[in-house]
Order: sequence, then structure tokens, then C-alpha cells
Amino acid sequence: MRTRTGLLPLVVREITRETPDILSIRLAHPDGSPLPAWQPGAHVDLQLITRHERQYSLCGDPADTTSYRIAVRREQLSRGGSHYIHTFLRTGNIVWVRPPRNLFALGDAPAHLLLAAGIGVTPILAMARHLASTGGDWRMIVAARTRADVAFADEIAALGDRARVHVSGEDGRLDLAAVLAGIAPGTDVYACGPAAFTDALLALAPTLPEGSGIHLERFEPRRRAFGPTTAFTATAARSGVTVEVPAERSLRETLQGAGVPVEGSCLRGVCGSCAVPVLDGAVEHRDSLTTDEDSRVIYTCVSRAAPGSALVLDV
Amino acid sequence: MLSTGFRALGIEEIRGVLGEPEGPSLQKITDHLDENCLRFLAHSPFATLATADRDGTCDCSPRGDYPGFVRAIDDRTVVIPDRLGNKIADSMRNIVDNGHAALLCFVPGMTETLRINGTAIVTDDPTLLRALEQDHTVPDLAIVLRIEQVYLHCGRALLRGGLWDAEMQDLATQVPTSGQIWASTSGWDPEIGDVIDEAMSGAYRALY
Repeated sequence: MRTRTGLLPLVVREITRETPDILSIRLAHPDGSPLPAWQPGAHVDLQLITRHERQYSLCGDPADTTSYRIAVRREQLSRGGSHYIHTFLRTGNIVWVRPPRNLFALGDAPAHLLLAAGIGVTPILAMARHLASTGGDWRMIVAARTRADVAFADEIAALGDRARVHVSGEDGRLDLAAVLAGIAPGTDVYACGPAAFTDALLALAPTLPEGSGIHLERFEPRRRAFGPTTAFTATAARSGVTVEVPAERSLRETLQGAGVPVEGSCLRGVCGSCAVPVLDGAVEHRDSLTTDEDSRVIYTCVSRAAPGSALVLDV
Repeated sequence: MLSTGFRALGIEEIRGVLGEPEGPSLQKITDHLDENCLRFLAHSPFATLATADRDGTCDCSPRGDYPGFVRAIDDRTVVIPDRLGNKIADSMRNIVDNGHAALLCFVPGMTETLRINGTAIVTDDPTLLRALEQDHTVPDLAIVLRIEQVYLHCGRALLRGGLWDAEMQDLATQVPTSGQIWASTSGWDPEIGDVIDEAMSGAYRALY
């Protein structure tokens, strides 16, 4: 069972139906005190009274220090979290939130192209609002199946001509290749959406002009094949603990079992909460966050030592 | 007839002692989960599952997981994931032989319990199993229970027993540990019980 150490109890102030499948939820400190600050792209881990814990991008206004806004889509095949929120969560209930983390922060590129599909609008909307206020060169496209499925349509419209909605049920599938073909060199692309959408963008990355990059936020792990999962040795240098990680258990679980402090929320290699710096050893990065295979940070919930290697960790 | 040395009563004699059930007690029995039952289940992390073999020999086993683990997929069907256990599979073997099954669901702090009776099967349907993923583990099997009777059982038993009173937890200090019980029933030295307890505390770290 998950603990609540390090999580803030927040009260549900408002629940709003944004689309047939999406609710937005406003959270505040029970006594109204200010909440930890955040930047567009940040997400929180949200734990329900049932201890189910999921990640949600913040989609409100970072200048509002007294509330967070998240949006939750009802999943057809809910593992418990979205079903509970859509069916049982009420205003006045308490939820537990880990302070915001940002693995999807805006850089300082001269131009930005923001792309969202479905519920992926949440971090992208916060980014667009920020870029609109700073007056940079930016464009946003929000794709949805039908017009009724566009969450925050009024807020998108209020951003003006740089923001547009693409309804695939009316206009056909968004032609990502054409969208990317039109960008100026140096434009950074930020995208969030379901796996099919982010995977399609990743496949188009080589077509980007000089100096442009793609930044993705995923809800689901990248599906990739790895070699057999084997046991390995890991040393937590600061804790002075060495553990044998068996094939059937994660590095994170094994370290936690030995009393080494490692966090963890999604346990699927997408949220980043279980990151630990690597001092020595070769890593097989099985998470969906690492873009540089030589990265010296290991996401301990899914990533492991490379075959034949042992790890020394700064924890 | 079972011989215990005590006089065994028939139902007429039992009725003579108890009297008839009152109307409201019978009215609360339904054949489906209403909104309140669904809310009860969504907050329940523990249930006991009763099954019987072909001859009617009974078995009752504990089931526990994140609240809501007895998952309603519609108002007449619940699903229970099979998590890591001892692999004896008493309940599942019984379900295969004799589908009748009963659940008694608990919510910590609540004295009323939810009783669900019905007929069960064991399945490995991949779509269903994926929805039952917990802590990145997808169960290999699940029990699907088609509901015939549902009712909220009154709280007197749990109230009388003080089940949720924090002060009652000192009772556990007076009960032998699982290692001690195991060593004793196997005729081993008590020290072996300590070794078993230590091994169990290690094994208990892997719950999925």
C-alpha cells in the first residue's frame, strides 16, 4: 500500500464537466494557504483516498498560487484512478498531492509549435497561455475526435489566431508530416497525447529542420522489446547498502525493501519520481523518459543494469 | 447426523427461539448493486470469499488489495483479481467444481459489511486482466462473480467485537506468530519458527 509521506492533503474545491469524458478538478489547500509554485509543463502525482496514484498535468494559471487545476479523462479500461474520480470523487473530499515536478518544461527556443491530442491539451494549454503572455512566436494545434471532445474550447479560442482546433471527425486525421514540414528552423515542438500520436511524431523527428527538437509527454510507456530480465547487483553508495536485485523485482522495490529512500509514483517509467543518479555501471534504460542512452540518471521503477553490469547509485 | 454430545435443533425449534425476521430485514436483500453498494465496494480493501466443493464442503479465504479491488463491471457482476498467494488455489478449484460463491466485504472503520452471493467462474480474459493491473503487475487469473443476492449486513457483530478499535490491536501480541504456529504443527524446534518468521517478513515485501 502506498504511503502519504511528502504528499500535501488538498481539498477538491470544484469539479467541472469539460467534455462527455473529461472532468476538470480544482484543488486548494484546506485553509487557503499558497501552494508550491509551478511552470507550464509541470505535473503532480495525485493520490486518492483509495491509495490509487496517478499523474496529472497542471492546466490552470501558474500565477494563481491558491489552486491547482487538473483534468481527468474517463478511461475505458480504467485501472481504478479515473473511474474513481469520475464516479465517486466529490467537492469537499481530500486528495493527496506531491509537489509539482516538471519533466516537460518550455525551453527558450525562438519559436514554439505546441501540439496536443485529446486530454494531452492539459500541459499544452498552460504552455500556450504562458507563451501568449510573453509575446513569443508560437502556434498551437489541439486535435480531438469531435467538437464535443475538445476540452477547454473557450480558453483555446480566447488565445486568438495562433491557437487552432482540429476536429478529426470532420476534417480527417491531422496531417502531422505537413504540420512539421511548415515550421521554421529553430522551432521547438512540444507535444502531448496518446501513444499513437506521440509515436507518430517521434517517427517524424528526422524530418525536422536544423536546430529544431521534439519534446514529448507521454501518458503510457513506450512499447519496446528488451532482452531477458536478469538479476544484478546494485550498491546505494550514500546509504552504504548493497542489494541483489532479482529478475522478478524492480530496482526500486528492492532498494525500498532494504530501507534505501527512493520515491515512486507511476511505477511504469513515465512520471520520473523514482529517478536516482548513477555513479558507476552501465544502465539499460527501459523507461519512457530517457532520450540519451548514455544518461547517468536511472528511473528505478523499470530500468535495470545492462547485462553483466553492476550499478553504484548516489542514494 | 453430526454427533457432538449436544442436542441438535431443527429449523422449527430454532424459529421458536428466535421468532420471525422483521419485514425491513428481508426488504434490504436485492439482486443487484445500487449506487450505495457500488460506493461501498469502491472503498473496500478486504473481503472474505466463501466457496464449496462438489460435495458442499466449504472453504473461506481472505482477499485484500487496494480499495475497490472487488471491481463491479456492471450492477450484477463483480471481478476479483487473483494476486500472489500460496498457489494452493482452494477457492478456484471449488469454483470450478461448484460455482456457488459468497463474498463478505469490509470497509475499515465501518461496522456494516456487504454480503454478495452468486455464481462464479475463473477466467484469463486478457482485456479484463489488463484493467486489473496493480503496481505494474497484471494478474494471471480473475474470478468473475455473477450476483444473485446483495445486502448490507448490520454492524452489531463488528461493534460487539470492537474490530476497528485501535485499542483492540494489543490482542495480536498474545497470539503466536505464523512461524511459531508452523513450527509447532510440524513438530519442529521453536527456533525454527523464528527463522520462518524472518523469511515470511521478507516474502511479505513482494505483494504483487
